[in-house]
Amino acid sequence: MSETFTPPAPAPAAAAGPGGTLLEVRDLVKHFEIRGGLLGVSRIGAVRAVDGVSFFVRKGETLGLVGESGCGKTTLGKVILSLIPATSGSVAVNGKTVFDIPAKEQRRQGRKKVTVGRVEMKELRRDLQVVFQDPYGSLNPRMTVGEIVGEGPLVHGLKDKAKREELVRELLAKVGLNQSHIHRYPHEFSGGQRQRIGIARALALNPDFVVCDEPVSALDVSIQSQVLNLLDDLQQELGLTYLFIAHNLAVVEHISDRVGVMYVGKLVELAGVDELYQRPGHPYSVALLSAIPDPNPRRRKRRLVLKGDIPSPANPPAGCRFHTRCWLRERLGNPERCVAEEPLLRDLGGGHVAACHFSDEISPEVVAQAIGLATA
Amino acid sequence: MTGDNGRFATPGGDLLGIEDLRTYFYTRDGVVKAVDGVSFVIGNGRTLGLVGESGCGKSITALSVMRLIERPGRIETGAIRLGDLDLLALDEEQMRGVRGARISMIFQEPMTSLNPVFTCGDQISEAITVHESIGRTEASERTIEMLAQVGIPDAKRRAHEYPHQLSGGMRQRVMIAMALSTHPELLIADEPTTALDVTIQAQILELMKELRERNRMAIMLITHDLGVIAEMADDVVVMYAGKVVEQADAFTVFERSHHPYTRGLLASIPRLGVKRERLEVIRGVVPNPLNLPAGCLFKRRCAYAMAICDNPPPFREVADGHLSRCWLTPAGEPPSVGAEADPETAAAAAAELSMEA
Repeated sequence: MSETFTPPAPAPAAAAGPGGTLLEVRDLVKHFEIRGGLLGVSRIGAVRAVDGVSFFVRKGETLGLVGESGCGKTTLGKVILSLIPATSGSVAVNGKTVFDIPAKEQRRQGRKKVTVGRVEMKELRRDLQVVFQDPYGSLNPRMTVGEIVGEGPLVHGLKDKAKREELVRELLAKVGLNQSHIHRYPHEFSGGQRQRIGIARALALNPDFVVCDEPVSALDVSIQSQVLNLLDDLQQELGLTYLFIAHNLAVVEHISDRVGVMYVGKLVELAGVDELYQRPGHPYSVALLSAIPDPNPRRRKRRLVLKGDIPSPANPPAGCRFHTRCWLRERLGNPERCVAEEPLLRDLGGGHVAACHFSDEISPEVVAQAIGLATA
Repeated sequence: MTGDNGRFATPGGDLLGIEDLRTYFYTRDGVVKAVDGVSFVIGNGRTLGLVGESGCGKSITALSVMRLIERPGRIETGAIRLGDLDLLALDEEQMRGVRGARISMIFQEPMTSLNPVFTCGDQISEAITVHESIGRTEASERTIEMLAQVGIPDAKRRAHEYPHQLSGGMRQRVMIAMALSTHPELLIADEPTTALDVTIQAQILELMKELRERNRMAIMLITHDLGVIAEMADDVVVMYAGKVVEQADAFTVFERSHHPYTRGLLASIPRLGVKRERLEVIRGVVPNPLNLPAGCLFKRRCAYAMAICDNPPPFREVADGHLSRCWLTPAGEPPSVGAEADPETAAAAAAELSMEA
């Protein structure tokens, strides 16, 4: 595979970011190298987990990020938090650059790499927190709840044990857990309660920004809504900003102000939540929305069923990455442009961006016709 | 208590009847009544959705039907009838003739249910030759035909591939091909799409619908996803803590559910296109199976809990073909003893009401 890298154009949405921007992500790239060969040291390819993603998140809003497994949404969250180093691109929080890593040819042109130092990073970590998907795997089984939730404050200088315990009790009450459970271990709690512990841990340092990576998908239905309501309440009470990563579109619709859709390492659409769900501008978003079973037996819908599997991010299709499964392209008579030219995010008006050459062709009639065809 | 047997209107006749099934697990900490008096029927060619949260006993019910319960679990009592065959009375040899031939099962995680060291084709051929006396060539022809039928492109080549070479969706298709290769009358699908992405889930659901039509088979579909149930099921059984709490046809369950648990579940899921400031919640958590409350198992989480709920509610008909295990009247009102009755009056009223039911 050739190592040519096309610098992604800055997204219009990012350029239009207002003054109240909390997080700004530009041209973020994360490639995981695949090594092989005789000694296992030569590079034989790369998994393009995140491949040029730009967006911003406003203060106090929730940006939902949806996509199927392997689309890079979790990797994106981790790179933003600097839990794994980016290949290139930049992330700024509250106007402060966390890192700015130029791409190869920009480096050749003399652009310098900028990253904050260890001390500064530690400070930044107060503001950036994360809630993980797996409430079983993300809590240390050998630590008590008090130690888990209090670890952040301890690292950040709250040495006084009594004060720390007081803070932890306060946090437990805030997330709806019994304060007297402070000395219990994670295995003594149910999945929903563990997720509350994870949320308390994330809030311990009073952050501005929390990445919620599939926080409810491991939970039972009746517990999901409890945790979603809790996240909602905490956001209002503490003025939090969320990046909410999930594959469940109904959950994302409920909690988000704006929603981004990812497909094989790319952000293919971003819009206000109502706009995206009512007037999707990318054929992939249309298919995702159509795929969700509606909990109403009278509306058994004829759905748009995509053909084939999600392509591997190690070997993404040329041009538009969705072209191998695209129903719209098929309806338009398989235009060459989808294979030859990679679509960039285009403004469809009002901050609604989509990366499709033929967004304007999407209409309820076309979708209906496509469904008729697909299930005929 | 055989009055518990759940009846559905089954125009095509009954295929599977479960009566008062009790499957217990004898753990070190005590007896877990995973399935505790479950009864329902599946009509010929019907799809029955079995809904409930993790630990409610839905998978154990399915495994009991397959007679795949292992120690420390044991089927205590009950009857499972397939046509006029009592599955619980069969010996292991006879059961092997039913399992995989007349009843097939697919599981949530196709990777762990397929053998990694045999090709997909070999595994399907094996299923066919175990149950039918046909030659290897004929079996492998049938295998390729089955793989093509479940929508696997280039079936001939795929038959020679190993499970790890296939994607999750393709593996689930192989599982379905294997399950259907013997033309079973009943397919038990335990969370068949839970591990799959939404666009792949849509493919598999469409495939299951198509095959259901073509093979005229009945399906027992186990899932916690109410959207999938609404999409697929004719009849619905809702389980909670080892018991059936409500059952009716799908329209009734989704539109006129009676049991507060079912209503709570339906109210708490976020729905596409329905904007709500807050989601309804069911408070609390599922009770510990080793320490179940006396009386109604749901009472601690129920918004309607009353004194009478300390007595086990009868499983009774609240409308034609609609059963609910709750003390609320069929109209959804508190019973005549009232919500504030003292325990003795409530118990007396409970005894009287149970007699009627």
